[in-house]
Amino acid sequence: MSDIRIIKKRYIFMASVFIGLALLLVLLPERHTLKELKAERLLQEVNDNTRYFTTDDVAEKIIANDAYMQLIDVRTPEDYKNFHLKGAINIPIDSILNKDEDGNYTYEGILNQDLKANVFYSNGTIYSNQVWLLLRRLKYKNNYVMEGGLNKWIETIIKPTKPSATASQKELDRYDFRRAASMYFGGASVTVSAEEDVPAPTPVIKKSASKEEEGGC
Amino acid sequence: MGPLFNANDEWSFVIALVIGIAFGFILESAGFSSSRKLAGVFYGYDFVVLQVFFTAAITAAIGLLFFEYFGWIDLSAIWINKFYVGSAILGGGLMGLGFIIGGFCPGTSACASAIGKIDAMLFLGGFIIGVIIFDLFYPLYKPFYKASSMGASMIYDVLGMNKYVFLLLFVIVAILSFVGTAYIQQRVSKKTKKY
Repeated sequence: MSDIRIIKKRYIFMASVFIGLALLLVLLPERHTLKELKAERLLQEVNDNTRYFTTDDVAEKIIANDAYMQLIDVRTPEDYKNFHLKGAINIPIDSILNKDEDGNYTYEGILNQDLKANVFYSNGTIYSNQVWLLLRRLKYKNNYVMEGGLNKWIETIIKPTKPSATASQKELDRYDFRRAASMYFGGASVTVSAEEDVPAPTPVIKKSASKEEEGGC
Repeated sequence: MGPLFNANDEWSFVIALVIGIAFGFILESAGFSSSRKLAGVFYGYDFVVLQVFFTAAITAAIGLLFFEYFGWIDLSAIWINKFYVGSAILGGGLMGLGFIIGGFCPGTSACASAIGKIDAMLFLGGFIIGVIIFDLFYPLYKPFYKASSMGASMIYDVLGMNKYVFLLLFVIVAILSFVGTAYIQQRVSKKTKKY
């Protein structure tokens, strides 16, 4: 039959190679490759800054009611209660890796998905970066960090500083946006309780000149 | 081993250029710069396009899964586009329509322009105008464009299958399609005049 003749010998050979290789993959014993992200890769990702959302990005998305961003406050529940960004949920850093009775990570459904971009924030960026790092090690995707945290939020969005008169149009536009955003978010009425990034100022003990030094050499 | 380079590397444009040239060369070698050949799939007289792309897909799939098995590549590091159901269906339909009206798809039009085909150059011009129009009116259809996203989903996950079993079935389907299209091609070629 001519219909059969069209399938030439080499096609049959190629087809059997493909099927053979695919079959081999099915039959090979399962190999457990490292579940966690390799250290070099992690280092590479830590060093590039693509995980950051600027405070302007976040403000814009909150105002636009962007459903593709989920803000996650990684501070303590008390801090969250005192102040949090609109739409943010609270997953404190110490419970991020909590497991349920079956031994699965409780928050995996939120923290490892493709639909929404999770943006972590804390007062600075230390905690939010730690959360990001923990989750990235687990190969969780779609997680980001708000650059500068709430401190920067206050500095740029709530109390923006006016650029100098010689500033570029871009900077002036950004200032206009920030001022409008500031009004949207209720102006300068917010205060952040703890400043995690800035080490608590060590009280300077002034030596009084009149007193004699006790002891010492 | 892989990925071989970081996407943020400044070399990525150079690498993209090299890969692009290789891709164009292979398209041209497979005869894809001819709109008659491309339209052949639609009219049923030439299925080379389907055969080449299906072969490329199964070769790449088998290769990647073996690479992963031996630990040479980290599949989770590979970027996968998100699947937006609505826009994929509409976009697929529009793309098919453009393909059969114009006789090229974006890649092959660039390929055919490179060997001096005037119709392909016009197609490429239209393609660029289309991109600009799409960009200008993007806010209008963004809600639809971004709607019903299924994320970077894998078909074997959606079906709840083992990926290796799925690959085997996929290879079998590919081979059956080669046999089937070869049969159709012969029947059609007998009946109609070949261009």
